[in-house]
Amino acid sequence: MLRTVVAIIKKEFHQVLRDPMMLRLIFVMPIVQLLLLGYAITTDVKNIDMAVYDFHRSERSREYIRSLSAGDYFKIGSSDMKLTESDIEFLKNKFRSILVIPNDFSENITNFKPVKVGYVVDGTNANSAAVALGYAGVITRNFNEKVTGFKMPIKMKEKRLYNPEAESVYFMVPGIVAVLITMITISMTSMAIVREREIGTLEQLMVTPITTPAFILGKIIPYAILAYLEMSVALLIGILWFNIPFAGSWLLLYGLSFIYILTTLGLGMFISTMTKTQQQAMFFAWFFSIFALLTAGFFTPISNMPESVQYLTHLNPLRYFMTIIRAIMMKGASIDILYPEILALCFFAVALFTLSWIRFSKRVK
Amino acid sequence: MHKIYNIASKEVRHILRDVRSLVIAILMPMLMTFLYGYAINLDIKNIKLAVLDFDQTLESRELSAKFFNSGYFVPSMQRPDISDPEYVLKTGDASAVLTIKSGFAEAVHNKKEFELGLLVDGADANTASAISSYSSIVLAEYVKSNLPVNFEIPGVTLSQQVLYNPDLKSSHFFVPGLIAVILMMISALLTSITIARERETGTMEQLLTTPVTPREIIIGKVIPYIALALIDGFLILAFGVFHFGVPFIGSTMLMLIFGLIYITAALSLGIVISTLVKTQQLAMLTALLVTVMPSVMLSGFIFEIKNMPIVLQTITQFIPARYFIQIIRGVMLKGSSIQVLWIEAAFLIAMTVGLLAIAVKRFKLKIG
Repeated sequence: MLRTVVAIIKKEFHQVLRDPMMLRLIFVMPIVQLLLLGYAITTDVKNIDMAVYDFHRSERSREYIRSLSAGDYFKIGSSDMKLTESDIEFLKNKFRSILVIPNDFSENITNFKPVKVGYVVDGTNANSAAVALGYAGVITRNFNEKVTGFKMPIKMKEKRLYNPEAESVYFMVPGIVAVLITMITISMTSMAIVREREIGTLEQLMVTPITTPAFILGKIIPYAILAYLEMSVALLIGILWFNIPFAGSWLLLYGLSFIYILTTLGLGMFISTMTKTQQQAMFFAWFFSIFALLTAGFFTPISNMPESVQYLTHLNPLRYFMTIIRAIMMKGASIDILYPEILALCFFAVALFTLSWIRFSKRVK
Repeated sequence: MHKIYNIASKEVRHILRDVRSLVIAILMPMLMTFLYGYAINLDIKNIKLAVLDFDQTLESRELSAKFFNSGYFVPSMQRPDISDPEYVLKTGDASAVLTIKSGFAEAVHNKKEFELGLLVDGADANTASAISSYSSIVLAEYVKSNLPVNFEIPGVTLSQQVLYNPDLKSSHFFVPGLIAVILMMISALLTSITIARERETGTMEQLLTTPVTPREIIIGKVIPYIALALIDGFLILAFGVFHFGVPFIGSTMLMLIFGLIYITAALSLGIVISTLVKTQQLAMLTALLVTVMPSVMLSGFIFEIKNMPIVLQTITQFIPARYFIQIIRGVMLKGSSIQVLWIEAAFLIAMTVGLLAIAVKRFKLKIG
């Protein structure tokens, strides 16, 4: 049994690595993905282009504009065109927001009266628009405090834990690692098994004395090893290149990853029993991966989703693994904190793996 | 022409025979639109807040009620432990802990200064900054409600107006981008796989021994996928407009023309990939790496190009999806015309012509 499994694993590795392009892809993929996502996903919005119409042109109004341009939140472009023309500039995406300062600006401020300043934001990108509104609000409040001397009697003292530098990379890299393992294992295993069927070598294998369990193990173990390799490469880059901290236990992470990989390998196997061609297998794998990716809380927190979708996320094993890997890496969480997620993951692993094992054995016979 | 038709009808039969793939090809865009429309909501809401109230007065309860009635915060299921308030953050039961020390009510009545504590789970930088800005808004409202009736806070107030998407709905933003991503996925990925398949299973040689020329094979193989891509594009559009209420202000004709140009670019990419690889598995991985991933991540679909480092920004200029997304967002949401969009249009057309030329050349070299 063991010898046949090893033989099949060897064959599978030969097959995967025979093609130098495949080898390159397998290692280039996590690197590219990590670099791209690490740099591209900055949900923090900066340098929002702002056109300013200052109808007051006083020291005070310029001070207000200066306080907006301090820091890299807003990039102020002065505006010589007429107000009506700015609509076209908006369409061309030249500006994301327009600020209009009325001509009674500083009189009202020095008389301790409220002043209304017009602020128009392009809402096409809902996220950036919300952030732009938020920034302007905070800056304005600080400006008011400084200029009018009116202070809020009650203050909030805030303390940020786990990622006080507010680096989105720290949060995204563990997420990317989880996504990477998911995509690679599901699509590669399902395609590898279906391939034998599509080009007809499955029949050839079946006439040999290889037993079904040996065949399955031989087919999936290489992809489990591959998943671990990809994960390690990705984590190394994350730590060496992006300097992300690793607060928790490596052993715990690698151990729990095994449970998760069992789940995704099971899913890959399950897909292979439902499909006849590699194209089909790839499609199914993608369908599952996209569902998993979008309901795992990768980009946005799950608590943000509508309640019905929140229930749906409980069907997604990646959701639990995402929580686990982030909690271990960022918060240094241990088993006593993560046990609900670990239990859920174990349930998925056992259920999916045995179910697809049984289904696959039946199909092959 | 007749030969092209034959190849195309063969390919259509391949597609139709494979009902499962077809169902997924139709369902996938729907699933993505559904999930992006509902699940991916970029403005943070329902933040789980735990309150440690040591004051236990009417005023302190009023303050926490203000937080929960603001629409931004919901109470956490788990009560925080007084000796270890961080624990609820670690388990993820709460995203922030508000501490109201005793003496709060007294400070409110005597107009004394007072400091509240807010412990924030900063793991997700985006959520954390939303938490701090929302909580300061809530606090400002609380302070204002305790001021004398006719007292107005001096200083600047912003009268805000949001254009094009006043409710800041993220579906408005995602649906146009999704069309670009799905068109790329169907066109580039499926064509590269279908050609790789003929090579892997050995039927490409058989086809080449027939009187059909390589160019006819390619055109025939590609036409059904253009149709499939268009169907998917329309499905997303219909779903987005009718279900999510995404506006469509601009010209349908303009959108269709640029859709076809973009599909041509994507198909050319697919053909180039198919000349580089021999197996379907490899075709899938390559297509994923060079077409789908950049179209999702570097096109401004989710993440703003302007926030990326300069190197990445330069790379985005070589990604067709970037221009296509700008064009359809402009056309759909803002009703932009070609006068406004001509730069993007010129880039997209130039890129398409270039890709098509490379595809034809490579295909002749490799297969012809």
